[in-house]
Amino acid sequence: MEENFILETKNLRKEFGALIAVDDVSIQVRPNTTHSIIGPNGAGKTTFFNLLSGNLQPTTGNVFFKGSEITHQPLHRTAHLGIGRSFQITNLFPNLTVMENIRLACQALGHDNFRILRSHKHFPQYEQRAREVAELVGLGDEISTLARALPHGGQRKLELGIILAADPEVLLLDEPTAGMAAEQVPELIQLIRDIQTSGQKTVMLVEHNMNVVMSISDTITVMHLGQILAEGTPAEIAANEVVQSAYLGQLYGDMQTSQTG
Amino acid sequence: MTTITSPQTNGLGQFFKNNRGVLFSIAGLIFLPFALTLLDGQSIGSMLANESGLSKFYQGLAIEIFILAIYALSYDLLFGITGLLSFGHAMFFGVGAYLTGIMLKSFSWGLLPIIGLVAVAGLVMALIFSIVLPRVKGITFALVTLGIAQVFYIVIQSREMADLAGAEIGLQGVTPPAYLNPVEQRLRFYYVGLVVLFGVYFLYKRFVDSPTGHVCVAIRENEDRATMLGFNTFYFKLVALTISSITAAFAGAMHGLFHPIIRPGIASSHYTIAALLMILMGGIGTLDGAIIGAATFKLLSFYLEKWFGGTSQVIIGVVYIMLVLFLPYGIVGTWKLRGVRLRDGWRDFLQRLKPSQTNND
Repeated sequence: MEENFILETKNLRKEFGALIAVDDVSIQVRPNTTHSIIGPNGAGKTTFFNLLSGNLQPTTGNVFFKGSEITHQPLHRTAHLGIGRSFQITNLFPNLTVMENIRLACQALGHDNFRILRSHKHFPQYEQRAREVAELVGLGDEISTLARALPHGGQRKLELGIILAADPEVLLLDEPTAGMAAEQVPELIQLIRDIQTSGQKTVMLVEHNMNVVMSISDTITVMHLGQILAEGTPAEIAANEVVQSAYLGQLYGDMQTSQTG
Repeated sequence: MTTITSPQTNGLGQFFKNNRGVLFSIAGLIFLPFALTLLDGQSIGSMLANESGLSKFYQGLAIEIFILAIYALSYDLLFGITGLLSFGHAMFFGVGAYLTGIMLKSFSWGLLPIIGLVAVAGLVMALIFSIVLPRVKGITFALVTLGIAQVFYIVIQSREMADLAGAEIGLQGVTPPAYLNPVEQRLRFYYVGLVVLFGVYFLYKRFVDSPTGHVCVAIRENEDRATMLGFNTFYFKLVALTISSITAAFAGAMHGLFHPIIRPGIASSHYTIAALLMILMGGIGTLDGAIIGAATFKLLSFYLEKWFGGTSQVIIGVVYIMLVLFLPYGIVGTWKLRGVRLRDGWRDFLQRLKPSQTNND
């Protein structure tokens, strides 16, 4: 208990009717690390993320951020706490430009949101910051492109930019490379790695791409059927036989036979 | 830094440059009464004395357009900018009109306290709507607001309130203050209407351009994302709703001053649909479109009724369908896209005719 965890869950559980999507999951995330969550489809990874970010309320259990409980915080507080969340399905403001998308995120945590009779031009600090963030994620040349006109890879970058704009301490990235062309993936991963190391940030990642997960993570948690199957360093996880069988589908078969037999 | 701050250093010049079209329109509207007088051969002196003539008649028509335009602007802020579809907007207008009429007629209040009261009423109505705001979204919000507004529409026509509101016939015998009488001081009323309209217009432009306005647009685009960015969207929707309802109530107050009879129809759902039509015709979310849409709406219904009488409703219906087909983004919206859609409109139109021909075979 000596160690300070930035994000911690205790016996987190989420039921959808009879389905238990997340079953008593307790994890601890150390600050300034990259912590990945992997698992087969339906393992409850995204549901777990939704519980962390407040998009869903847990049935039982608690979420702690820097030691204080945030389980029942309203959704819009998440960003103010310093948690940024990206989505598996691209979730942007499609009819606004790249600049407007990022500027909104910069503005969100400022104190000028209700200056109803001042032009946004009077607040150049947000525009300045938005420009920096756009450069950082590699969208500096497409600052006035509409978000919906960007290619998919560009939209994923913008998604990342929107989170970075608020300068959060924890980034929850739900499949940041989903649907991206294979040659674009290394670029994005390098970007995430840079952000994590240079900015003293904690990254939590849900990802299916094993190469990405193995190369980037400090800690990996493997989820299966809503429960934690294993946790450890990439090397430990790679050597873990239970994990291997889960991915090969063997474990599922074993459980079926043990239940029926 | 310098590139960002440059637009505000030469503020006034930039303002003229950005709003050239609007400023020309305002100048045109300032001179309109005089131009019409000269056209009519009436002397300027008699026009200034508000004697009847072509100019006075068109001033009246223009005042009605100004009032409708303010009303349409307020609906555009709510629906076009913030994305809140309300079917109860006519209640805001109706409350403004009836409150003005009742206070003038039955309580002999002066105009200034009435303006204050109308503003307070606008605020109260926004707060009533805001009770349901965080609970329902989209079409459910539209239906709840429709319900609230229908209650007001029924109450205003009730027999019990006949002494105050004139039941289903409407509120008659309201005497506006002498200095703003729509008959004896028509020209003054015209300029007051013009000032209020463009005052509202520029305030709205500024609002949409402000950090708050940007968030309102973000809420229209993707409310869930806006919440995840850390905006408590309820407060932004409340601000937009409040500004919108107060503006609509002021438009209603002007309507109450201008029209000899305040009819309950202005509080009905038809009147909300009218606002929707105006901004659809003008171009949703464009503000300029609300004014142009209101002018189009009023002029169309006025002239078509004048020329075709009872059948005008059918023709208006056809015109609306044409507008939706050929100008799907409204007049201003399509203008901004420079007629790109005009060709598509023809294609859509011809395609719609085709299946019916094959059926006849």
